[in-house]
Formats: sequence, structure tokens, C-alpha cells
Amino acid sequence: MKRIRLFFSHWQNCVSFLLILIFVATAVAAPYLSPDDPENPGAFLRVGKATKGEPQPPSEKAVLGMLPFGFDVFHALVWGSRDALLFGLIVTISTAVFGVLYGAISGLAGNRLGSFMIRIADSFLAFPPIAGMVFLQQLLATTIVAMGGIYWSHPKFGQIIEVQGPMTLIQSLLEHINPLMLSLIVLSWMPYARLVHAIVLTLKQTEFIQASRALGGSSAWIIRKHILRNSTGPAMVLAARDVGGVVLLQATLTFIGIGGDSIWGSMLGQARNWVIGPGGSLLRYWWVVLPPTLAVMLFGIAWNIFGDGLSDLFDPRAL
Amino acid sequence: MPPFLQFLIRRFLAIPVSLIIITMVLYGGVMLTPPEARATLYYPPRMKPNMTEEQMRRYQETIIKRYHLRDPFLIQYGYWAGTLLDGTWGYSPSMNEQILPALLKRTPVTLELAMYSLLFLVPLGLVSGVIAGWKRSGRFDRGFRGLAFLGTSTPSFIMALVMLSVFYINLNWFAPGRISMNYGFEISEETFRHTTGMLTIDSLLNGRTDIFVDAWRHLAMPIITLSLYHWSTLARIARSSMLEETGKEYILSARARGLSERRVVWHHAFRNMLTPSLTSIALSATSIITGVFVAEIIFDFNGVSSVILSAMAGVPDAPAALGFAVYSVLMVLILMFFLDVLQAILDPRVREGVLKT
Repeated sequence: MKRIRLFFSHWQNCVSFLLILIFVATAVAAPYLSPDDPENPGAFLRVGKATKGEPQPPSEKAVLGMLPFGFDVFHALVWGSRDALLFGLIVTISTAVFGVLYGAISGLAGNRLGSFMIRIADSFLAFPPIAGMVFLQQLLATTIVAMGGIYWSHPKFGQIIEVQGPMTLIQSLLEHINPLMLSLIVLSWMPYARLVHAIVLTLKQTEFIQASRALGGSSAWIIRKHILRNSTGPAMVLAARDVGGVVLLQATLTFIGIGGDSIWGSMLGQARNWVIGPGGSLLRYWWVVLPPTLAVMLFGIAWNIFGDGLSDLFDPRAL
Repeated sequence: MPPFLQFLIRRFLAIPVSLIIITMVLYGGVMLTPPEARATLYYPPRMKPNMTEEQMRRYQETIIKRYHLRDPFLIQYGYWAGTLLDGTWGYSPSMNEQILPALLKRTPVTLELAMYSLLFLVPLGLVSGVIAGWKRSGRFDRGFRGLAFLGTSTPSFIMALVMLSVFYINLNWFAPGRISMNYGFEISEETFRHTTGMLTIDSLLNGRTDIFVDAWRHLAMPIITLSLYHWSTLARIARSSMLEETGKEYILSARARGLSERRVVWHHAFRNMLTPSLTSIALSATSIITGVFVAEIIFDFNGVSSVILSAMAGVPDAPAALGFAVYSVLMVLILMFFLDVLQAILDPRVREGVLKT
């Protein structure tokens, strides 16, 4: 309780917590805030004329205006928050779980094997996620083509897979993989592993672990009872900051047009030519830029500050 | 052998080790696909067009046989690693080029961008972090924290969007792309010698200051976009390690001996906060390289990242994606090597081998 009160004694933490609550609420209530078109579901709802390239200003039909070709800004914004939150949480939770377990095992594994495992983790640090994503996407594409399907990717609708005849199980599985999500999971567990590895190495020397071992506790028991409990705090700090970072990266990659399927990123990508193209203007078409920009930035800021607040919380010097 | 040389050699030998581990993992990913998909890695430059399905299948089978694509992992990996050493890295159907030459041809563009950004952001980050940390909550520190917060929370593409809108569309100070159109023709002529491939250096070697200025007009925006984020992360770490140093006893004793404040900061505290700062930036080398690629694509720079753009454009192009992955890992490893060496040069403890990193 004391820690929770300490957390909320800083106004930054309160703001970040409130922002996260707003994002979660928007994500949960998306179908009520902006109902889907039952015939054509998806984040991009067409409310205006499909032939009109110029973004339309806010009106009764669209509260926050329209993107080029008549897509509703508000609808995409609301559904984008569900998408971003899901993406961020799935990626971070899977990386955190894997990284923590990897670090715990490598820390307990003994000297030579443990340092070899950390050596592998260090090698992964040299792998840029953008390259991993392109690599996985191309593997997916070649696999589908080799199995007799057709693969192409579309800047707005993401990857499209066409298969003649009935889809096999593997093909339909491959269709649901998001290459960016997979590559981020594969490529961002190392900080957790290194952190937990370091924690375990110090914990190993402490008396309560040695006592537990002397009493006949197995490695699995020690990991579960002692190591995981002592490393959840620092791992949660890393994870909270990662949620924001991962979503920002997703939006960035979608904006530059190499996948990721971020809705906020795609909104900015679609509006791009009206802002920085010939005759474009940031002020004249503010409604296509400002809402997604604010959403992306506030999402990143909220999780970042939340992580900072958590890190003060788990700092033993804080109390 | 002097300890610094020892350090250099040991650090350099770590590059191939990491590269082998990573390429093994990469090929492990490739192994998940069926052999027919793996065969596309070895397709030759000119495939006979309009092959019937039967011919295609037979052709795939010969490639699978020749490169042992149904054998256990290590044998396959060995054959594939062999093709990495022959200097072509396979053939990319989407670019219609050999992959390694295509990557190397575009390297100077990327290198120019990465080099200037690092030269800009590392000194700036260290110095501003030190000054902010030294006078905590001073006027400089408050301004610094605001800017650093803005820097870490603005995604690069939004920064780029705003900069393009202000400095290109409205003011026309800077421009996207690599060079203006009228100079573009000139530099493609034979009279313009391309010694390094970097326009800012080549233009000076050719004695053309107007091209030099124009190249900088195009470099400015990507460099600022790229630097802001990494500057703010580096400077924040520099600031917090500076805060930690200021409370230590050697600072107190240096002051007690009557050293000037400037000397205490730059000769005593500065050297001790270098290690954590430079370690942190070495660890974020992947995100710097990713940032370089993103900036290149947004500002239309046509550097190494154009390989992935063409690979993603339509035809599935696994060889190019794989080659690009290996290449970017190599780039990150080299960048990490240079940052570690920089740290060793600046930090006497690392240089003399007292502190093992």
C-alpha cells in the first residue's frame, strides 16, 4: 500500500496511469464508441465518397474529419487504440516471459553453459528488428508461393494471401502470423534475459537460496519460488517501457510502408502526400495528422512515464 | 604485447563469433520452410522464362540435390555459408542484381548518413548530459530535460513529417532526396570523380563547393531526425551517471585541493561517466542502424535500405531479405566494435586492461 501511495504521489505517474486507463477503456469500448459497419468490418470505415481524394474537414458525418477517399478518422483512431494495445501487450508479455525464463535458466545453469547462453543472447543484440521483420515476411512469402499460393502485400490492407482450392492447415496458420510481431518477439527478449541473469548471479550467493538448496529444493522450485519473485519487479519496469516502444516502432514501419499493420501508422501514411506532397500543408489538413500523431505520442509517453514510475517504486532506496 | 592491442584483437575476434551464431539462427529460420522454398535462395541470375511446371519441378530438384537441401542442418548451413564467401550472396529477382554488389554499391550513402549522425550526436549527447548533470535543476538542466523528453517521445516519422512540412514545403531550406536534380545530372557525368562515394567528400575533392552545400542541404533533415532520439537517450544516461559521480569522494577531494570547477568536471568526473554512457550507446547500436534505415526511406535517400523496399515491393525475394539481414548484422557488429574501441581510447581503465568489459 505504501508503495502504491508513493507511486501516485508524483503527478506524472498519475497522468500516465490515467492516459493508460483511457487507452484501455477506448480499446474495450471500441464497438460502442464507433460501431463497425457489419458488411465491411475493419478499422477503416468509409463514410464519405470513395472517389474524393482530398481529405474532408470535420462534419456531422465524421466528427474528426475524413482521410483521403472518405475514411473516417475517429473510427480508425478508436479501433487503432485497440490494435495498438493488443500488439504492444502481446509482444511485451511474450518477450518478457521468454526472456525471464531464459535468464533464470542461464543463471542457474552453471558457469560454462550459462555464459554460453548469455553469449548467444548478446549475439541477438546485433540483429536490427527491421531486418528481422523483412526476413520473416519474405520467408513467409516464399513458403506460401512454394506451396502453390499467391502472396502480395498492400500498403493499406497488409499482407494478402490467395490460395487456389481449399487452404491447408499450415497455410491458414501462416496467414495469421504478423511478421513484425513475430520478429519483435524473437528479437527483443535479450534485455530481460541479461537482467535476470545478473539478478540470479547475485541471488545465488545469498543465504536463502543456499538454504533452499540445502533443504533439497530442485532448480525448478528455486526458479519458481525465489528467482521469479525477485525479478518480476525489474522485468516489469522494462516491459512497461517496451509496450510504448514496440507500438512506436510498429507505427514507424507501417508509415514507411514495409508492413507492421499499425492502424495509426497507416493513417499517417495515407495522409502523407496531402501534408508533404506538392501543395500540401500541415495546417490546412490538420485533422489527418493531429489525431494519430497525438495518439501515437501519448501512447509512447504514457507507458514510458509509467515505466519510470515503476522503476522508482522498485528501487529499494525509495522507501 | 601492450594491453590495448590485446584488447583490440580480442574484441575484433568477437565479430566472426557473433556473426556465426547469428547466421546459424538465420539459417535455422530458413530451415522451417519447405525445401522447394529454400531452393529459391540458389536460383541463378537468368532463369529460363516460361518453364513448364514439370521443368520447374525438375530444376528445383537439381538445386535441392546440389546444395543438399534435404540433409541435416549443419551440412545445409555449411553449403549456404560457403555461398556467402563467394562474393555474390545469391541473386535477387526483384532488383535484377547480385545481392552483395548491390548492397556494397549503396553502402557509401548509408555510411555517410550514419557517420555524420554519430559524429554529431555522441559528442553533443555527452557534453550536454555532463553540463545538465553538473548543475542539477539549474536553468540549463530544466531546458535540457524538456528537450530530452520531447526527443525520446517523438517518433522519428512524426518528426520527419513535421520537418518536411516546415523546412521543405514552407521554407525550402532543406530538401529530401540525396541531391538536387540539376546537380544530379552533373555528378552522374564522367568528369565528376567518385572517390569515396560520399557526396560531401567527393564534391570537395572535385573542388565543387556548390555541390557540397547542396549535399548538406539534403543531409540536414535526416541527420537531425536521426540524432534527436539517440541524442536524448544518450544524454539522459550521461546526465544520470554524472549525477552519481558528483556525490563521490574523489570529486570532493579534487575540490578540496583547490582545482578549478572546469578541471574537476572535465578531467575527473567526465572520464568516469564515459563508461556507462558509451556502453549504453553500444547496446543501442541496433536501434541506431534501424533508425538510419528508417530515415533513409522517409527522406528518399536510396541507400542500402532500398534493397528491402524492392524486396517488399511484390515478387517474394528471400535471397535479398536474407542477404540484407546478414549485411545489417555485420554493420551493427562493426558499429559496436568502433564504439567499444572509442570507449577504450577514452577510458584509461579499459585501455590498460584493468577493467574488463
